[in-house]
Amino acid sequence: MITRGPRQLLAEVQQPGLCIGCGSCVELCPYFRSHGGKTVMLHDCDLPEGRCHAWCPKTELDLEGLAQELWDAPYSAQGMGPHLAVVAAKAGPRLEAGSYQAGGTVSALVCAALEQGLVQGAILTGGRGLDTAPTLAQTPEEVTACAGSKFTAAPTLAALNQAQAQGCGPLAVVATPCQSAALAQRRAKPWPQRGAAGPAELVIGLFCNWSLDPQGLARFLAQRVELASIRSMDIPPPPAGVLQVETTDGSLEIPLDEIRDLIPPACAMCPDMTSEWADLSVGMYEGRPGWNTLVVRNEKARTLTEAAVEAGWLVVEEFPVANKEHLVHAAQGKRSRGLGAALAQGLLGVSGEDQPKALRVSPELYQAVESGEVA
Amino acid sequence: MATAKLIHDPYNLIITGVGGQGNVLASRMLGNVLTSQGLWVTIGETFGASQRGGSVMSHLRVSADGSWSPQIPAGKAHMVLALEPLEALRVLVKYGNPGAKAIVNDRPILPVAAIAGKTDYPSTEELEGTLARLTAQRWSIPATERAMELGASIFANIIMIGALAATGDLPVSREGFEAELLRALGPAKVATNLEAFDLGAAMVRR
Amino acid sequence: MEGQRQTMMGNQAITQGALEAGVRVAAGYPGTPSSEIIQNLAGAADEHGLYVEWSINEKVSLEVAAAASLAGLRSLCAMKQNGVNVASDFLLHLAGSGIRAGMVLVHCDDPGALSSVNEGESRHFARMLELPLLEPSDFQEAKDMTKWAFELSEEISNVVMLRSVTRLSHASGGVVPGTIPQAQGKAHFDHHGTLLDKGHGPVSSSPVVYKHRLQQEKLKRAVELFEDSPFNSYTGPEAPELLVITSSICNLYVKEALALLDASGRVGVLKLGTTWPLPPKLLQHNLGRCGQVLVVEEVIPFLEENVKIAAAEMAGEIGAKRFFGKRDGTIPAQGELNPDIVLGALADILNLPYQARPPEYDLLAQEAAPQATQDRDLAFCPGCPHRASFWSLKGALALDARDGFICGDIGCYSLAMRPTGYGMLKTLLAMGSGAGMASGFGQLGRFGMDQPVMAVSGDSTFYHAVIPALINAVHQKSPMSLVVLDNSGTAMTGFQPHPGTEANALGQPVPPVDIEAICRSLGAEVTVCDPFDLEATQAAALALLADQSTAKVLILRQLCALSPQRKGTKPYDVQVDPEKCLGDQCGCNRLCTRVFGCPGLAWEKQSGKARIDEVICAGCGVCASVCPQGAIIKSERA
Ligand SMILES: Cc1cc2nc3c(=O)[nH]c(=O)nc-3n(C[C@H](O)[C@H](O)[C@H](O)COP(=O)(O)OP(=O)(O)OC[C@H]3O[C@@H](n4cnc5c(N)ncnc54)[C@H](O)[C@@H]3O)c2cc1C
Ligand code: SF4
Repeated sequence: MITRGPRQLLAEVQQPGLCIGCGSCVELCPYFRSHGGKTVMLHDCDLPEGRCHAWCPKTELDLEGLAQELWDAPYSAQGMGPHLAVVAAKAGPRLEAGSYQAGGTVSALVCAALEQGLVQGAILTGGRGLDTAPTLAQTPEEVTACAGSKFTAAPTLAALNQAQAQGCGPLAVVATPCQSAALAQRRAKPWPQRGAAGPAELVIGLFCNWSLDPQGLARFLAQRVELASIRSMDIPPPPAGVLQVETTDGSLEIPLDEIRDLIPPACAMCPDMTSEWADLSVGMYEGRPGWNTLVVRNEKARTLTEAAVEAGWLVVEEFPVANKEHLVHAAQGKRSRGLGAALAQGLLGVSGEDQPKALRVSPELYQAVESGEVA
Repeated sequence: MATAKLIHDPYNLIITGVGGQGNVLASRMLGNVLTSQGLWVTIGETFGASQRGGSVMSHLRVSADGSWSPQIPAGKAHMVLALEPLEALRVLVKYGNPGAKAIVNDRPILPVAAIAGKTDYPSTEELEGTLARLTAQRWSIPATERAMELGASIFANIIMIGALAATGDLPVSREGFEAELLRALGPAKVATNLEAFDLGAAMVRR
Repeated sequence: MEGQRQTMMGNQAITQGALEAGVRVAAGYPGTPSSEIIQNLAGAADEHGLYVEWSINEKVSLEVAAAASLAGLRSLCAMKQNGVNVASDFLLHLAGSGIRAGMVLVHCDDPGALSSVNEGESRHFARMLELPLLEPSDFQEAKDMTKWAFELSEEISNVVMLRSVTRLSHASGGVVPGTIPQAQGKAHFDHHGTLLDKGHGPVSSSPVVYKHRLQQEKLKRAVELFEDSPFNSYTGPEAPELLVITSSICNLYVKEALALLDASGRVGVLKLGTTWPLPPKLLQHNLGRCGQVLVVEEVIPFLEENVKIAAAEMAGEIGAKRFFGKRDGTIPAQGELNPDIVLGALADILNLPYQARPPEYDLLAQEAAPQATQDRDLAFCPGCPHRASFWSLKGALALDARDGFICGDIGCYSLAMRPTGYGMLKTLLAMGSGAGMASGFGQLGRFGMDQPVMAVSGDSTFYHAVIPALINAVHQKSPMSLVVLDNSGTAMTGFQPHPGTEANALGQPVPPVDIEAICRSLGAEVTVCDPFDLEATQAAALALLADQSTAKVLILRQLCALSPQRKGTKPYDVQVDPEKCLGDQCGCNRLCTRVFGCPGLAWEKQSGKARIDEVICAGCGVCASVCPQGAIIKSERA
């Protein structure tokens, strides 16, 4: 797997506008910082290889290489990534009431992992309105405070780097698919250096089809409301099709079609809807408000889920086969659109080529994408 | 007043170093000692922005009759008093000649580009070798080190003056310098500065 | 030490001349290479009963000096070349009205821009404003000419300009000082006469045409005196092959070059000390000596052109001449001169061979050159607050990420155009023009410009010329941010006081005029920060950038490392813990030495660790906040 340096990171990711601002490279060193939703480089760094490039989810994401390394299996155009089970889930009685996005499954799992001692803290994404606030949460109250989805891309992983630099023990991260991919890069490309930040102990992935560019959204909203008056935002489940903005002087509904332009180009090339690289993945349960879809991907995840149910953090039920088929279909759709977009921009490659690529797949899959078989 | 005889007229001395090393003071004091011998001294200096970390040169022209250009012509230095080794080299490349002598403080001050790793400061061996080829006679002395022992790096320039005096090239006597110290710095500072002068002189006589 | 030859700096010789002339009032604005003149006069003020001030800018200093002259006291005004531009509006009118007691304007040019951002020529003001011009060519003349300039000024009741250059002002040479008279005479401004009564009436340049005629008559009187001035001299054979006409320090270069070429027998040198207006008879006599003329001077071909005009006017008597100089490229058109350049020109014209040293040595020197050529780029001093300030401004502009930029201004912080200030300054022009231009850039949002703009200014520059620009920005609602780098003194030129300091040039207590209060009074929002607090400074700058509604001010206040209060003190002992230092590994990559770049830091290649050079380190401790690893440790000194 290929690693280059910060100058190349700028050229391959920042300059073409592919940076999603996930925070993977932020606070690892004095050079990259996140401000107002943008990742910026403060000073030039001339290292030929660095963690910033190695762990970035938007360049040299070798899907085939990662799958071999982390799953011991080929990366497939089919399905929704390896998993042991898909269940319906929602928070159990132990989770305090809060403004959870759906069933509160994510928050419940984090609380369970903290109680189990599996992790000493969790990197969550708090904040209200336009501002996202990556946070290290260590108590159920702190977890609840971060409940709810922020639909702008957030530099969540910067908080992971900061917490690790301060010597925190094992950590969980609640991550979008691109952030999950960044964490997969960390596991597959460990950095041979003392004291360096590293992978997370537990990754709870979120489903995601797209996010919004924070600066673009701010500019867009500034034309309609006083930015400082925004209290919260939400995208209610379909078929609503709107962005709800709660302000101190009332609420506003913006049709999603009006904000599609604010989806960063990086999302168009993203092949992952269900956070395939995570340990567990959580999304909405279409048609069943107050519930989540929970994908249990490995043994660690199964143990945690069982313990969470036992301790009263989580309630699970069976997930209908028809819903699962629908989910797989959606995941495949995003994958084929993402790979197709990368190919169209010349950013899809196969392992072993010289030219920098954003995504790499096996030669077979490459051919399939090229010939349109995947779409 | 009987004017001292000079081995060259004008005698061309360049005091060189890096901004902040105090070579302006050194050249002034030296100039005054020589003027009190009835000689004409012309000193060319650079001030201002050029002092901020840049190379700083003082050109001293010592003559029995009149002022000379405050800039010494290329290839015409008789003596280079360098507070910094790379500066000695820089001066010799332009102003050196087969008869040139040099007294060089051996403590390097890295240019910011070298600190930043953009350029390499030449190794001591390289520098010594080149300086040897470009001079007829040369003294390399640990002036900064000795100055620190005396309490402050700034004494290095007085140590250098002591060394210059000991070469006998110019009529700079211990007494003459003492009188100048008294005049320029006041009685409180004479003793340590004279000690610095003697230290420098001893390093050349040895 | 009267009567005994001393080695004096050119500026000190000028001071001495002014004192011998009985100067009573002196004023100026600091600027290399002129600053020591006012500084020395301030030092002598007590003993000789003078009033000396560092004025807010050159124009005001000239006005202050003019007032003294009109009240019957000899006065002197000193400034650097571009200072004359600032003062010139007043000078134009003063030249038209005339003065009473002797008044001399000393202007020091900086050929080669050794300490300037221009190679401005101030001699042409003499021609443009029709004032006499003197140019000393060595140290004794600097003293004698200054003294005589006062007499000339009184003889023609007008200002006399005396031009020095860096290589004279800042060089030292032999001067025999004379007697300094007792101060006498009461100041009184006589204003009861008519407008036409130049000795007793109100002072004005009108009625213009009448006064202009008077002024030109004065100039004619000056020329008469110049014809036999001892400051003009000829040396050389009666009928040389080549006549060199020169002035100022170039005279010593010519002397040196002729000695090295051993050509004194073939070349005559007409050294002129009174360079405007040129004395025609003297010129005619000397131009008549031969057919070839070389004019040696610095900056613009001022002397050359004036000589040529004169030669054309007297062509009937002296015939056609072959001229060499700047206009035909014999003498370079830019940069300062030195003996070698003059020697090259002479050797060419006379067809003489010259070799400074044996070719074998040249070869050795050439071989050594690559080692010696690494330049010492100018850098902020160790412990300089500007390095810290620009570090934080750089961070803020990067985080803001809208391609914002900083308009620079004149002072030590001008160095921020170079690597030492991370190349942060994107414009660098005249005093005060950073703020003025930022005020203009700020208005361009209406044309789609979405880059935020900042300006920096030093404290002295703030008073000199920034205040009007700031008022403009506030009044026109220009969304710019002015960052005042307040290091409490005119640091660049050697710590002259300015209106913000608590003592004046004479060391007397004066009420400081507070920058912060001025800005607030204008209605600008003001934040004050210690630039050594990197985090707070960056946050403050970022906040300024975020608010694009109006003009704002950030004052970064910290003493200059060379200030009398800080120099030689070391607040912290600073050390690098090699265990913690990451060096050039990922996670740091030598942030302190490679990027921050304080000269007090050193990089140990062998060990791959940073180190503090304790000889150079000023102990400010800022690098401790730069290091991402906490490897740089500062401990307060007992
Ligand atoms: C940008 C975005 C797009 C999404 N798109 C879809 C989709 O298309 N389909 C679907 O089924 N589900 C999507 N989700 C997931 C869904 O919104 C819920 O997060 C998920 O169902 C979990 O619900 P919950 O009640 O368990 O969450 P909660 O218990 O409320 O926990 C939510 C957690 O999400 C984290 N979080 C919030 N915002 C962000 C962010 N911007 N980046 C990273 N982490 C964040 C917080 O740390 C918090 O812990 C998306 C989520 C996000 C953030
Ligand atoms: S900034 Fe700190 S860690 Fe980096 S090289 Fe300097 S001392 Fe070492």
